Parts: sequence; structure tokens; C-alpha cells
Amino acid sequence: VLCPIASSLNDEGKALMSIKESFSNVANVLLDWDDVHNADFCSWRGVFCDNISLSVVSLNLSNLILGGEISPAIGDLKNLQSIDLEGNKLTGQIPDEIGNCGSLVHLDLSDNLLYGDIPFSISKLKQLEFLNLKNNQLTGPIPSTLTQIPYLKILDLARNQLTGEIPRLIYWNEVLQYLGLRGNKLTGTLSSDMCQLTGLWYFDVRGNDLTGRIPDNIGNCTSFEILDISYNQITGEIPYNIGFLQVATLSLQGNKLTGKIPEVIGLMQALAVLDLSENELVGPIPSILGNLSYTGKLYLHGNKLTGPIPPELGNMSKLSYLQLNDNQLVGTIPAELGKLVQLFELNLANNYLEGPIPHNISSCTALNQFNVHGNRLNGSIPLGFRTLESLTYLNLSMNDFKGQIPIELGHIINLDTLDLTGNKFSGAIPASIGDLEHLLTLNLSSNELNGPLPAECGNLRSIQIMDLSFNSLCGNIPAELGQLQNIVSLILNNNKLQGEIPEQLTNCFSLANLNVSYNNLSGIIPPIRNFSRFSSDSFIGNPLLCGNWLGSICGPSLPK
Amino acid sequence: FLAQKRLGGPGSSPPSCRSKCGSCSPCKPVHVPIQPGFSMPLEYYPEAWRCKCGNKLFMP
Repeated sequence: VLCPIASSLNDEGKALMSIKESFSNVANVLLDWDDVHNADFCSWRGVFCDNISLSVVSLNLSNLILGGEISPAIGDLKNLQSIDLEGNKLTGQIPDEIGNCGSLVHLDLSDNLLYGDIPFSISKLKQLEFLNLKNNQLTGPIPSTLTQIPYLKILDLARNQLTGEIPRLIYWNEVLQYLGLRGNKLTGTLSSDMCQLTGLWYFDVRGNDLTGRIPDNIGNCTSFEILDISYNQITGEIPYNIGFLQVATLSLQGNKLTGKIPEVIGLMQALAVLDLSENELVGPIPSILGNLSYTGKLYLHGNKLTGPIPPELGNMSKLSYLQLNDNQLVGTIPAELGKLVQLFELNLANNYLEGPIPHNISSCTALNQFNVHGNRLNGSIPLGFRTLESLTYLNLSMNDFKGQIPIELGHIINLDTLDLTGNKFSGAIPASIGDLEHLLTLNLSSNELNGPLPAECGNLRSIQIMDLSFNSLCGNIPAELGQLQNIVSLILNNNKLQGEIPEQLTNCFSLANLNVSYNNLSGIIPPIRNFSRFSSDSFIGNPLLCGNWLGSICGPSLPK
Repeated sequence: FLAQKRLGGPGSSPPSCRSKCGSCSPCKPVHVPIQPGFSMPLEYYPEAWRCKCGNKLFMP
């Protein structure tokens, strides 16, 4: 008996049915792929045919959460020019038969769960211009035969588990525009042949295991707009020749680069992003970097840079990110940085900087994050900081600042973090702190603050962490703190607080860490709700406080 | 312009964008983030230069 269903479709129709069969999770999305009720496969979802030959030329089933595998039958669709299966949950291997789709121009299998090797047969696709296999679980080497695809413009193999070396032949391609290899396990070195990619604008090998040096002729890669070799294990010095690059982004961070920052980088005015962070660079920050008047992001943090911060950096008028933290910089913060009106983040933490914060910093009105943690800075908080209305993160911790906490800090209404830990701030905590309604973290620990804990702190309705420990605060713990519905940590130990622990604190249901030890508190610990979970460590060192720990005035008696 | 730079020595400049936006003016160089397909949150994107006129971008 002849099967009428099978006979209603030609070979391409049958191939499509085989493709559907090896997919899973097709019930809803491929409803109209139905040879019984609709044999006109050119009308099926995602299938596009040539008007005259009625042959399938394009298959677009992207982002449909399809599972299962890609059927070898795909090789029977010999006139396919475009396959887009991006953003599904396809597993299994890429079938060798895909190499039979000799007219393919566009192949996108990205964002799936495909594994196994990249089939060598892909190199049979002589018309291919776009190959995107990124974000799968492909293993094995990059086939060197990919170099046999004459018109390949875009090659994106990022985020797989590819191993072995980058085949040198791949660099001898004048047509390739985009080479995305980030996030694999590629080894070997960067070849000086890479500059044979005379049509390439995007070179990205970030996050592999590449070793060796930056090729001495790197400056010959004059077509590159983006050069990202970050997060590998590149050693040696940054070659002088790099100054001939025309790149907008130079990302060398997270390697093992040594030596000094070459002065010639200061001539690379096309740089929009310069990232040399997390290497082993030594010597000073060249003042000529101040010539980079079009650069928006400068990252030099996590090196071994010495000497002062060049005042010339204040000429980088387009700068929005400046991170010089975790180096060995000395001297003062140059007042010239106040000219950076577009500056969004300034991180100078963990250096050996001294002197005061220059008042001019208050002119950086776009400033959102200011971090000088772990230096030797002194003086007081500039009153001008109240005009920094965009500030959300202010960290002055572990320095030698002194003086009062200015009332005006309460005007920086967008603050989410205020960290003044480990300084010599004195006087009372201003009640205006309570105006910082977006504050998540308030850390005033290890200063010389005295006076009472302001009841207005009960207005900090967003606060999660409040650490006022190791000061000389006196008076009662305000009952208003019981209004803090988001607080997780309340750390008040080693002060001179007295009176009873307000029972209202038992209303702080999210409170997980409480420390009121080493104060002068008295009375009994509220015996209800969340307070049952706090150990005696939270309360010891209050001679007049009644609890059930050994040695407390109403606890078990000391053994003889 | 770039060729001249190359002959003259190291260094680079933003594109001039002169007559790169067709008939549209003014045509100015801008930084454009290039999304590398898959990036960690909080990581910045690499940037490239493009010529901009109104809300249209052109290759330099």
C-alpha cells in the first residue's frame, strides 16, 4: 500500500519533516509543520522558499526554545542560504551534513547547548560570510580549514570550550571583519601574523589561556578598532609599536604584563577605552596620558604603579571612569581632577595618597562613586560635597580624616553607601544622616564619635547594614530603630550606650546580625521573636544586662 | 588622514567624519558600545567610533 502522506512531499519537504522529528518541544511552535493538513512547506513557520524554484532558501527558527538535535537531513536542503537556529536549547553535535548546504551564506547556531567538535565539513561552505556558533558547549580545536572559506566576514566562536591554538592560517584573510573567540580555553601565543587581517575591525580573544608576548609588530594591525586580549596570561612588556594602532578600545587587563606604561600610548587619541588594569605594570603613570582628551574610560588599577597622580589627567575632559586603585601611588590628589565634569566614578583606593581631598573635587558634578579607601588622606570632608547630588557611593574609610561629620552630608540624597570607617571623625553623628532615605549601608565604625545615636536614624527606611561600633556613643539605643524593616546587620558594640535594649527592635524581622556587646546596657534582653536567635556574643560585656550566659548578672552562676 | 599619521609616526585621532553622513549634517564622531554578544553584567562593552547625524550612525 502506498503511503499518501509521504508522497505528498518532495525531498525537501521530507527533509523538513525529519528536521522537525529530531527537535523536541515542537508541539506549539511548529504546529503548522504538518504534512497531512498542509503540504505547502513554503508556508510553514520559519521556512522561506525561492519564488520560482520553490526550494527552501532560508530556515529561521530562532528563539523558540526548541530542544532536541539538528537532524543530518539539514544537508538535503541544498539551496539553503541562511540557517538561524539561535537562542534555542538544541543539543547534540552539529551534523557533518551541514557541509552539503553549499549555498549557505549565513549560519547562526549561537546560544544553544551544542557539543562536540566544529565539523570540518563547514569549510565546504564556500559562500559562507557569517558563522556564529557562540555560547554553546563546543570542544576540540578551531578547524584550520575554516581558512578555506573565502568570503567569511564574521566568525564568532565565543563562549565555548574550544582548545588548542588559534590556527595561524586564520590570520591570512583580508575579508574577515570580526573575530570573536572570547571565553574559550585556547592556548598558544598571539602570532605576529594577526596583522595580516587587513579588513578586521573586531579582534577579541578575552578570557582564554593564551601565553607569550604581545607581538612586537602589533602596531601593523591598523584596521583594528577593538583589540581585546584581556584575561589571558600574556607576559612581557607592552611594545612601543602599540602606539601605531588606531584602536578605539585597547583591553589588555588581567594579564601578566610587566614594565612601564609606554609613553606613546599618550598619542593614541582615538582611544575611547584604555584598560591596562590587573597586570604587573611598574613605574609612574605617564603624564602624557593627559593628552587623551577623547578617552572616556581609563583603568589602571591593580598594578604596581608608583609616583604621583599626574595633574595632567585633569585634561582628559571626556573621562567618565578613572580607576587608579590598588597601586602604590604617592603624593596628593591633584586639584586638577576637579576639571573632569563628566567623571562618574573615581576610585583611588588602596594607595599611599596623603593630604586632604581637594575642594575642587566638588566640581565633578557628575560624580556617582567616590572611593579613597585605604590611603593616608587627612583633613576633613569638603563641605562642597553637598553639591554632588548624583553621588551614590562615598567611601573614605581607613584614612586619617578628622573633624565633624558635616550636617550637609544629609543633602546627598542619593547615597546608598556611606563608609567612614577607620578614621578620626569626632563629635556627634548629625541628625541629618536620617535624611538619607536611600542609604543601604552606613558604616561609621572605628572613629572617635560621641554623643547620642540620633533617633532620626530610624528614618533610614532602606538601610540594611548599620555599623557604628568602636566609637564613644552614649545615651540610649533609640526605640525608633525598631522602624527599620530592611535592616540585616545592626552593629553597635564597643560604645558607651546605656539604658535598656528597646523592645521595638524585636519588630526588625530581617535583623540577622546584632551586636551590642561591650556597652553599658542594662535591664533584660527582650525574650521574644528574633531575639531568641542571637547568641550571648551579641550581648556580652554589658555588666548590668540580664541574660542567660555564663557570668551575666542573672545567668547561670560561675563554676567554682 | 590616518595614512598621513602612519607615515608621520605613532599616534591616532578620532575620525574627522567629514562627509561620512551623506547629505546629513552636522556629522560628528561619537563612541558607540559594541556588544560582544555575551557579556557579564556590570562589565563595560568595548567601544568603537562611529559618525553620528541626528539619531543615525554611519561608518567613519
